[in-house]
Amino acid sequence: MLKVKNLKKIYPKSDRVAVDDISFELRPGEIFGFLGQNGAGKSTTIKCLTGILPFDSGTIEVCGYDIVKEPIKAKMNMGYVPDNHSVYEKLTGREYVNYVADLYKVPADLRRERLQKYCKLFRLEFAIDKQIKSYSHGMKQKICIIAALIHEPKLWVLDEPMMGLDPQSTAEIIAHMREHCAKGNTVFFSSHNLDLVKKLCHRVAIVNEGHLIDLFDLAGNEENKANLEERFFRITGTYDARLFEDYVAQESADMRPDLPVEEARSEESAENSAPESEETAEEKPFELEEAPESAEEKPEQPKSARKSRLSERAEEIGKPTEKE
Amino acid sequence: MKGEISFQSVKTLFKLDLRSRFGTTRRRGIKYRLLQAANILFFLGVYAILLAAMYFLAKIFVEKSGLRLEFLVIVSMATIVIATAVSTSTVIKNLYQNGDNELLLRFPVSGKEILLSKSIYCFLHNLIVCVLMMFPLYVMFGVVTHAPYYDYFAYFAVTLVASLLPFAIANIIAVPVMKLMNAVKNQFVLVLIFTIILLCAAFAAYLLSLERVLVYMRDSNQNIFSGGMIERYRAFASGAYPFRWYAELINGRRYGELTSGGLALRFLYIALMTAAFSVAAYFITEKQYYRTILYGIETQKATVSRKSKDVMRPQWVALLNREFYLILRSFNYSFQYLAMACAAPVMVFFCNRLAAALGTASIGQQIMPGLTLMVIIIFITITVSFASTCISREGMCFYHTKVIPVSYTKQVAVKFAMYAVVATISVALCCVVSGAYYTSEAGGHLLTAVDMVAIFFIAEMIVVGLTSLCILVDVKSPTFNVSGDGELVSANKNVAIALIVGIFIAVVYGIVAMVFNFIPIVIGNTLFSINTIYIILSLVSLAFMGGCLAGLFVKLEKHYAHIVP
Repeated sequence: MLKVKNLKKIYPKSDRVAVDDISFELRPGEIFGFLGQNGAGKSTTIKCLTGILPFDSGTIEVCGYDIVKEPIKAKMNMGYVPDNHSVYEKLTGREYVNYVADLYKVPADLRRERLQKYCKLFRLEFAIDKQIKSYSHGMKQKICIIAALIHEPKLWVLDEPMMGLDPQSTAEIIAHMREHCAKGNTVFFSSHNLDLVKKLCHRVAIVNEGHLIDLFDLAGNEENKANLEERFFRITGTYDARLFEDYVAQESADMRPDLPVEEARSEESAENSAPESEETAEEKPFELEEAPESAEEKPEQPKSARKSRLSERAEEIGKPTEKE
Repeated sequence: MKGEISFQSVKTLFKLDLRSRFGTTRRRGIKYRLLQAANILFFLGVYAILLAAMYFLAKIFVEKSGLRLEFLVIVSMATIVIATAVSTSTVIKNLYQNGDNELLLRFPVSGKEILLSKSIYCFLHNLIVCVLMMFPLYVMFGVVTHAPYYDYFAYFAVTLVASLLPFAIANIIAVPVMKLMNAVKNQFVLVLIFTIILLCAAFAAYLLSLERVLVYMRDSNQNIFSGGMIERYRAFASGAYPFRWYAELINGRRYGELTSGGLALRFLYIALMTAAFSVAAYFITEKQYYRTILYGIETQKATVSRKSKDVMRPQWVALLNREFYLILRSFNYSFQYLAMACAAPVMVFFCNRLAAALGTASIGQQIMPGLTLMVIIIFITITVSFASTCISREGMCFYHTKVIPVSYTKQVAVKFAMYAVVATISVALCCVVSGAYYTSEAGGHLLTAVDMVAIFFIAEMIVVGLTSLCILVDVKSPTFNVSGDGELVSANKNVAIALIVGIFIAVVYGIVAMVFNFIPIVIGNTLFSINTIYIILSLVSLAFMGGCLAGLFVKLEKHYAHIVP
């Protein structure tokens, strides 16, 4: 399905080899995880195999077609979901999907059927005819996924697909990855989520500083599954016994640190005293300013909820002072 | 909206605002300083031209036509109306639409403090605009009427007082105007048509006025206003309140038209009117500000809904469709490209008319073909230069052009086709409009059918060549510097290259055609008449077109593959 042989990529005006002699092969029907730290070469490899970046040496074949010599045929068999979810925001969701479907020559009846199915699956029916610029982060990710799947590609490539998605959407994507593979197609995705990779992937590759260090089976190999975290930490040179134990403990136990005794008591009493006191309710808007969430980490929330938080903040600012 | 005002917070917010607009005081390199100096010089040059135009305007009205008070009424009205429009735009952008509202809401500052700091900026902006527009006009009036020196202080005082009115009105109408704009924002075709009409009307009005001024300058004994027009100006000025009050304050007691009491009464009217508008503006803004910015934050992404059909189209149609919609749905892009392309024929016609009015009389009608060719190429260059950002405008979505199963050549060919076809239609319309008029009796037979056909073919070859060149420079050096809305932050250097090349060609072609038509030259046995010049220019254009097309499409796949987003 995908054959990468001795791939090498050096960025212009850079001495560093971003990807060095990477080779691997993907089989039909498998989900393949691509792991590595930030800057390890995951995205560069993905960009090379999707045709976004030219590379210096090596070969990439998609369904038997060389990405350099026969790029159109190779790309016709591939669907790509980028990590930044960039789409043409001035188009509506339907216009964008239809545009992509036209480029992949998907017949009208098939695309209609698929679009309906995916809109239902990702719960985008209400927004599909609206301009993409009105979409939330998660919705943009979903429209990217729908556009990548509209031609039912044999190879589905996703660059950190779960980043910033809510649990429900993550579950939907996972379910769809499985469904896609069940049809004999292949999924190739990069991720930082070791737990997800462990549960979902048939095989996994770990890259570090541009080199592919390890590639092993996870399906049916309990030992590899159990050792995935340790192997990852050791390969990436971040293995530290204490950190590793912490990580493993996080996976299995509640990691919340204990509160100081007095605060714990007051919290206990607050929990027992229902309803919520006015002071506590008033302090809530400040959570927004004290711990602003980054755009990527911010979960989707209904507009009404957001408006009410802003309105609370507005009232807070416009609140009469003691002098008044 | 309640809350204590800390002037320290207001000062900090204001400084923050200024810093975000004009950058820090950090020392910059020599290149930056030179660029800044060039910008200032350019501004001063344009302003000097405007001042000269104001002076001639004052002379035409006051000296030649005796429309002293009428001139003051008209300039007071024009500047207050323009200042109100500018101020409304500033208030909307800064108070209600600025992206920092959401950020400022998180700071421990009150709404009043945010409002006050932003209002200070808006007020200062309005004051500068008023002083730069209104004061020079009053000064020119003083110069033309030989006013004593102390009158100029009065002019400045009136300017300061008059500057309050646009600011107050702007604050009152900002929210309704913003709502109206939001309502029509997504009516892309309607907005485009309106923009084209406005652009054509403004350009035509500008050139017609310029024509009159230039005619006046050429023949200063001639009065450009007829008796009927003078009467109409007088009738208009007699009832044009409240602008007449400002005019009467400027006119003062010099001509014995007003007593001291009358003057004081005019001042009282203005003071009361300004106070009434200011109080209304204060209450409306205070009441609306917080509510509106919250609404703005919540609905800033409210956008168009459109149910399209799920039909299959050929790849090139899909690409063309997408390219067109991305331009149409952006006000900036549709103005820069579609509106300019549609307005070009009107602009060419009026430029020709102006040149014909002045040039043919003083130089001779032989200049017309060269002049028409030059003007058409200049306007087409402005339109086509938009193609020099066609790759850069992909912005964050550039990766998409690399992953789709369509060859880069086909993608670029579609872009090329779109820009070249629109420009071709524009050139054809320019030729038809100018040709229809100047080959007729009314146009004085200044052009022939042969001229128009030759001009069309030469201009068309330049269109094709220039479009290829524009895309080529963007393929070689794209800058994916886009804003949050996916639009290019500013025109990149590729636009400048395209404009320089296009204008250079226009000027060279124009001069060659004008000179050789004016002075036919015999070299050997060849007479270099205009027809020979057309053939030579066609050959040169053909070579230019061929070179640019080859430069773009030969090895395009390789060049495009090496673009790294």
